[in-house]
Amino acid sequence: MQSALAKLNSRLADFEAPKALSLFEWFGELGNFCARLAKAAISPPYEGRELVRQLDEVGSKSLPLVALAGAATGVVLSLQTYASFSRFGAQSLLPAVIVHSLVEESGPIVTGLIVAGRVGAGIGAELGSMRVTEQIDAIEASAVNPYKYLVATRVQACILMLPLLTLAADACGILMGWLTNTLTEPTSLQLFLEAGTKTLTFNDFLPPTLKTAVFGLIVGLIACFQGMRTRGGTEGVGRAATSSVVLSSLGIVLADVLLVRLILVFFP
Amino acid sequence: MWRNVRLGAFIVGTLTILAVGVFLIGKKQFLFSSTYNLKSEFDNVAGLKNGAEVRVGGIHKGMVDQIQLPTTSNGKVIVIMELDKSTDDIIKTDSVSSIQTEGLLGDKYVAISFGSQDAPRVKDGDTIGSQPPLDFSGLIKKANQILDTTQDTVSHANDAVANFRSIGSKIDQGKGTVGALINDRKLFDQANAATAQAKAGATAFQENMEALKHNWFLRGFFKQRGYTDTKDLTQNEIARLPQGPAVRSFAYDGKQIFAKPDTAKLKGEKALDGAGRFLEQNEFGLVVVVASTGVQGDAKTNLVLSQARAMVVRDYLVKKFKVDDAHLKTLGQGEIAQAKTGEAGKIEIVVYPVGVGIPPAKYPSSSGG
Repeated sequence: MQSALAKLNSRLADFEAPKALSLFEWFGELGNFCARLAKAAISPPYEGRELVRQLDEVGSKSLPLVALAGAATGVVLSLQTYASFSRFGAQSLLPAVIVHSLVEESGPIVTGLIVAGRVGAGIGAELGSMRVTEQIDAIEASAVNPYKYLVATRVQACILMLPLLTLAADACGILMGWLTNTLTEPTSLQLFLEAGTKTLTFNDFLPPTLKTAVFGLIVGLIACFQGMRTRGGTEGVGRAATSSVVLSSLGIVLADVLLVRLILVFFP
Repeated sequence: MWRNVRLGAFIVGTLTILAVGVFLIGKKQFLFSSTYNLKSEFDNVAGLKNGAEVRVGGIHKGMVDQIQLPTTSNGKVIVIMELDKSTDDIIKTDSVSSIQTEGLLGDKYVAISFGSQDAPRVKDGDTIGSQPPLDFSGLIKKANQILDTTQDTVSHANDAVANFRSIGSKIDQGKGTVGALINDRKLFDQANAATAQAKAGATAFQENMEALKHNWFLRGFFKQRGYTDTKDLTQNEIARLPQGPAVRSFAYDGKQIFAKPDTAKLKGEKALDGAGRFLEQNEFGLVVVVASTGVQGDAKTNLVLSQARAMVVRDYLVKKFKVDDAHLKTLGQGEIAQAKTGEAGKIEIVVYPVGVGIPPAKYPSSSGG
């Protein structure tokens, strides 16, 4: 049955649709892909070893990049808000602004975009090249479900690792924010944290951090999808990598609009 | 192997960050310390939110757990607070909670005052007293009213000052009466002169009046009456007869001496000469001319008449004979029963020996002796 579906899939891919319809076609394929993926992810056996490899790939290996990006965000926030707040003499609000901004929005979105760039491109290129070199067909021929082995592990890794990476980005951002702040206005880290988390509640902290799991889902899903549907040689691999990054980044930003609204409604 | 270690380190590290974050926030919400609940009732919580700080002695020691709207319209808003166990010794049943604002426009928080030393301790779920919150908009309204009133007052004060200034400048310029008084020496001199003239005028008037009394047209009236000046009537009158026996007494009928029964005009004054000569020749301590009238006519008029008659007789004696007038006194007795005096009244000249006490004057005056 799976081979029949694959045949259908390839036949559908051969069908040259007009441009306006290609968007719907893309969504249709994505839905089909999701259904397969869900089925593959839920049913045993699980690919534990491959999952760990992917967790490491997505998580630990992204950490330096994400930490750097978070730190840079913290520095920028500190400098920028100091410049504007000092005009009103509201420097005492700086820690709160930096912490709130990082924890609620800057940390998650920066992490999501960085991971979309690094991991999304990697997954897209990897799966794309596997597709064009017919490695995926080979896996399939050796009775291993490529959705279970290749796709599900990557998506799961993205979902699990993004909140943790976000925490790292938040921490680095706050630390660097404090460091930058203390250069102009010497403050102890304890006081900075105390002032920064004064009005912070769990609703400000946990939902925005956990929403990055959705970003992870988007990155993993789109990158794998774009990689798996790669067509046409090395050029196709490049296209897959590019479109993975672009579409997952776009998806993250658009999803964030919805998520922020939902969080504000359900976790006031 | 290496990969697993790296992954494990990453996961442990980030989860530590999560733990720190959760602890930092949880500490503020008193998740990790033992707490107890207190309630307080307010008419109005002025925008207090769930999760707001509760401060005891200014220290963040709890949070607002719940704010419940009353179920009936006469109920109160119930604020349920979760407080750190360590405040147990400080908050007593007479502690008072109040909703306050951090800064002018900052967050609302609940402040709980310390209880008194001997008040009972609070128990979990107790309700403590409350103070109505100081509403900033209400404060502004009140301040506005004060400002309005102040403005009114200031503008009134301004008006008053302007008036004073205008008056002052007028006075300065010599306008108006006060200004003239203050600025014009001439006016003062004139006022002085006027006062002097008035004084002179009054003297002249007095003299005129005196002259008038003696001119032919009015002279008759005074002559008829027997005396000219009413104020002289009681000048030498004494209140009563002195104590002690009299040396000698001369008594005359009123008809015998006076022209008419109702006047003090002398007619048969020669009859008094006997008494006058006696007084000239003998030493005496006091002589009192006692006059009385009959009951006919008004009692008051008759009193004046008797006084006048006594005075007239005394005047005659003083003028005609060389007697010590300091010891010559009068006494008008007014009406005395007709049987004793007769219709026309009676004159009696009573002589007292040397050493008799002179009774006090009937109408003591500062001027007379």
